[in-house]
Amino acid sequence: MDKVILRLKERSNIPVEAEAICPDLFLTKSQQEIEELALYYGNKGRRLGDFFQVQGERSDNIVIEGEIPNFKKIGQGMSRGNIHIQGDVGMHLGALMKGGRILVEGNVSDWLGAEMEGGSIRVKGNAGHLVGAAYRGSSRGMRGGEIIVEGDGGSEVGELMRRGLIVIGGRAGDFVGAFLIAGTIVVLGPVGLRPGAGMKRGTIVAFQEPDLLPTFHYNCLCQLSFLRIYLHHLREEDLNIPQEYLGGFYKRYNGDTLELGKGEILVWAGQVA
Amino acid sequence: MFRISGGEVYDPLHGINGEKRDIYVRDGKIVAPEDVDQKHLEVIDASGLVVMAGGVDIHSHIAGSKVNIGRKIRPEDHRRDPVPRSQVTRSGVGYTVGTTFVNAYRYARLGYTTIMEAAVPPLKARHTHEELMDTPLIDKGCLILMGNNNFILRHIGSGDYDKIRNFVSWLLHACKGYGIKAVNPGGIENWKWGKNVAGLDDLVMGYGVTPRQIITTLIRVNEELGLPHPLHLHCNNLGLPGNYQTTLETMKVAGQSRLHLTHLQFHSYGGESMRNLSSQAPVLAEYINEHENLSIDVGQIIFGEVTTMTADGPWQYTLYQLSHNKWANSDVEYETGAGIVPFLFKRDNPIHATQWAIGLELFLLIQDPWRVILTTDHPNAGPFFFYPQIIKLLMDKKYRDEMLASVHERASCTLLSQIDREYSLYEIAIITRAGPARRLGLRHKGHLGVGADADIAIYPKEVDAEWMFSNPRYVFKDGLLVVKDGQIVTDYMGRSLLVETAWEESIAEEIGKEFDRFYSISLENYPVELDYLPRYEVIPCR
Amino acid sequence: MRVTSVVCPFCGALCDDIEIEVEGDVIKGVKRGCALSKSFFLSHAEDLSHPLVEGLEVELEEAVEEATRILARADYPLIYGLSCTTIEAQRKAMELADLLGANIDSTSSICHGPTGIAMQMVGVATCTLGEIKNRADLLVFWGCNPAESHPRHFSRYSALAKGLLTPRGRKDRTVVVVDVRPSASSHTADIFLQINPNGDFECLWVLRALLEGEKVDLEEVSGIAVEELRELSERMKGARFGVLLFGMGLTMTRGRHLNVLAALTLTRDLNQFSKFAAVPMRGHGNVSGIDALSAWQTGYPFGVNFSRGYPQYNPGEFTTVDILARKEVDAALIIASDPYANLPRRAAQRLEEIPTIVMDPKRSKTAQIARVVIPTAISGISAEGTAYRMDDVPLRLKRLISSPYPPDHEVLDEIIRRVKKCLGYQEERSMTLSMA
Repeated sequence: MDKVILRLKERSNIPVEAEAICPDLFLTKSQQEIEELALYYGNKGRRLGDFFQVQGERSDNIVIEGEIPNFKKIGQGMSRGNIHIQGDVGMHLGALMKGGRILVEGNVSDWLGAEMEGGSIRVKGNAGHLVGAAYRGSSRGMRGGEIIVEGDGGSEVGELMRRGLIVIGGRAGDFVGAFLIAGTIVVLGPVGLRPGAGMKRGTIVAFQEPDLLPTFHYNCLCQLSFLRIYLHHLREEDLNIPQEYLGGFYKRYNGDTLELGKGEILVWAGQVA
Repeated sequence: MFRISGGEVYDPLHGINGEKRDIYVRDGKIVAPEDVDQKHLEVIDASGLVVMAGGVDIHSHIAGSKVNIGRKIRPEDHRRDPVPRSQVTRSGVGYTVGTTFVNAYRYARLGYTTIMEAAVPPLKARHTHEELMDTPLIDKGCLILMGNNNFILRHIGSGDYDKIRNFVSWLLHACKGYGIKAVNPGGIENWKWGKNVAGLDDLVMGYGVTPRQIITTLIRVNEELGLPHPLHLHCNNLGLPGNYQTTLETMKVAGQSRLHLTHLQFHSYGGESMRNLSSQAPVLAEYINEHENLSIDVGQIIFGEVTTMTADGPWQYTLYQLSHNKWANSDVEYETGAGIVPFLFKRDNPIHATQWAIGLELFLLIQDPWRVILTTDHPNAGPFFFYPQIIKLLMDKKYRDEMLASVHERASCTLLSQIDREYSLYEIAIITRAGPARRLGLRHKGHLGVGADADIAIYPKEVDAEWMFSNPRYVFKDGLLVVKDGQIVTDYMGRSLLVETAWEESIAEEIGKEFDRFYSISLENYPVELDYLPRYEVIPCR
Repeated sequence: MRVTSVVCPFCGALCDDIEIEVEGDVIKGVKRGCALSKSFFLSHAEDLSHPLVEGLEVELEEAVEEATRILARADYPLIYGLSCTTIEAQRKAMELADLLGANIDSTSSICHGPTGIAMQMVGVATCTLGEIKNRADLLVFWGCNPAESHPRHFSRYSALAKGLLTPRGRKDRTVVVVDVRPSASSHTADIFLQINPNGDFECLWVLRALLEGEKVDLEEVSGIAVEELRELSERMKGARFGVLLFGMGLTMTRGRHLNVLAALTLTRDLNQFSKFAAVPMRGHGNVSGIDALSAWQTGYPFGVNFSRGYPQYNPGEFTTVDILARKEVDAALIIASDPYANLPRRAAQRLEEIPTIVMDPKRSKTAQIARVVIPTAISGISAEGTAYRMDDVPLRLKRLISSPYPPDHEVLDEIIRRVKKCLGYQEERSMTLSMA
């Protein structure tokens, strides 16, 4: 498969805004044109070629070699193609993306997939705060697509999410799914304080008993086929989902009664009914 | 010193309707040809271009505490419209609640050179002036909120007009104001109890006076002081179905006195509920046609995002309950309040489409263009930079009908489709400059006669009026070229426009007593000093 | 000489009835001020005698030139502080930030920044302090201790103040304090609810539920009996005009902006039943001013970044503690603030590693580690200007005595002039018509 490889030349602490690293843009550009793409190093405009050795051209497959935790907005708004990052990466990765796929071998910073509309993101390490969330002041977060973080997630994962799937393989911070409008968030590890605060609809799935707000009420014990399908899907994605999660029962809590109250938090209750 | 040569001039105050005239400018003023040295004259070739006076906005919310609350709560609005700095301009953000600099640049880039900030709470007047210091290029004035001022309410009760007149005079001085604004008279005071007034004869809680009395009093005081601009009134019951009756009654209260009714579109509704809100614009237009003492600005709806903001706190709360959008409210001690709610006007919404049509009906059914003024009540009904779109709707019947066909069919219940009137450039020059300048009593603005400020906009002559009015070739402020081909080329500070009227010294003692009891600051720290304003001009009274 | 109606710029309450006795260039007496105010006016010594560059005394010109060199060269400069200076200086600082493509942030980001974020999510119902004085019959102080932080708040604006509908002052009001420990304020309250640390969100959330008549199955929430909360919610519903005043006990504890969101939605919801407002208890004298100015010039109240030539905002991304701790900042200009003493260690450390410039009349901890120190006059004592009270009421600070040092805004103006020259901006021309 054709691809464009970007090899980082030198590490720096200065933030670089790199929305130009986007498959849609790379697709039609020669190697030289890719090198000339504008990146913003602090308050200075620079060329992509100043930071990376570029190999390949005219492809919507991008591979980035090196640690780039200071690079922001990579894949922002992308609608197609692949980005494969072989180290750590900075904020706003895949924010507003509409399609395509992002794979990160390392950790990512905050605002991963913020307000994304479609496509999928896979992170092997940890993610920062506000995965798939709404930017400050916006009424809606992620509107579609899929984010899988194998490690931990920070606070406010999926805040104001409207549609789509977020999976956190490790622990999630406080306010998972706060003000959730719809969509599904699955947390395999422990869940922080106040999950689902202010949620209207949507589903949060937890496997360890969370502290719930008093505005959530126990509803019933259930087995849900949609959840089994989701968990199967995650297994196919090579996530470590124990067999008993697939067959087990779930306690259903509904809330947040301060909002519509049509949201649900499902907590795995083990094999026994 | 320069001459604008060979342009098609539209100067309705002098009856000039598209004739080729030369305009001479010296020291920031328009002068007679014999007053310039012909040998050392720069010449600006305006052949094939349209020359008008700089635009005048009689009602816009661009500065002060409520606008700034709007800015503070809407990062999502700013994010989609970042504006970079240049060697001449500052950076900022635009869209519905733009930053001070960006608003100024955008007004100038439409050819507008004078703006009235339409709602200034006295206690925070200093804040408004500080924002206006950061609003370059344009001249600006402040309309001071008085319709719910407790001092005035108290003395209406006691029937002491002299005291009220003295107080108003002092307050305009203290706030460096230009005119008197009243918003939902009595309603905001009642909002401090969580209530409102429903009509002209409801009682204001704690004072036992009525909106009718407040309006009568302020009209009378305004006339007695001879202020250049009539009372600027936001009627009771804004936005509510059936409110046209309140509006009609309010017009009758004015009798023969001058009165300016602002954003009339929001006050022209029939029907009993939001479900069957309908247009009563024809009824109001007819009344206005017969009463030369009245003028209005429209508050035309623009489909899309807006930020509603008004001193009308109770209405803004209603709008929050209708929309469930975020809601800000800010009550100001003893004086007034404010509410802010983001809102979206949708083409396919029957109410919004009807409101849109009502605004256009007002423009087209009021016959005397000198008394109907183009506004969007920025940013309430739409951002001001959509003015060119409105101009096109008024000038182009075909475009108007196409737009009508593209919005919710309920808009067709109005008379809009049956109105064939198309505005001429001459009439556009009236509703965007000559008319508002006259109504504001700004004798040196809105026209191109000798002695006028050299605030001049020169547009390309295009069939598409929207494009034409969005792209002035040149804009001059006080004879300085500030915009050229859409770029801001000069950094320049416009003037604050003020009035000065007299008051009896005895009023100070009276006010002092109120301050100690009811205010949280000292009287001494209340007035805005004259030397606080970078540049100002006192506009004479009538 | 006696100066009346002086505004004390020490805290966000900006009391404007202070009388100051001045003899020559010495303040001899302070009338009506609280203990904080008296100490501010009487022990204001400007203890830096000279501008310093790398610890050596230099002329002002040289210090300004060195500051210019540092800032004009930086890739990710930070301008920080600003809450204890005038709007005139803040205006210049913002212009400089715009020019440099810098980050600019105030102490808001470490006090009421979360309030700003919460307002962006749900809005805010608020009022001026005079409204509290005139009308409020129920005051709920949450996570704040005005008796010590804003000592005259009670008497001038809130608990004790007499106004239009509250002629008997304290007798016409119920005062509730909610805090994690008893305080000087809680001792004066009618009702004190002691809440578990970090339990604010749950408690506010349950209050909202009780308002709506939701059933709450618990006995207690965050250490407070639900019965007590029920009583409070009824009291709130029945208030003529209630005000929730909140401080850093809410904004800087676990939950932060979402704690404030809970408080703001509670006040919003209460307006269905009664008239209710929320008022943030702002600390520094003009911290509301920098929020206001930042909003009108950039659209955003704090934590603004100009790297791209236009303002960007994102708390956590551009806020001071974060960009320092991530070692992104490569030069800092600190104005009227002491971040080296106040910020978390890992953030403060960065200020030692990079060229830091300090504008301050005091030999602060930050001044001690700075590369360039420029002493300036003290706002409200030896420099005049405008400040915004915690409720955004603007007041004029007076210049009571003279100072050997220039005011902040003059120094900043000079830096701007020099930076423009460095960056190749044309000298400002006298305006002539040019049609070329």
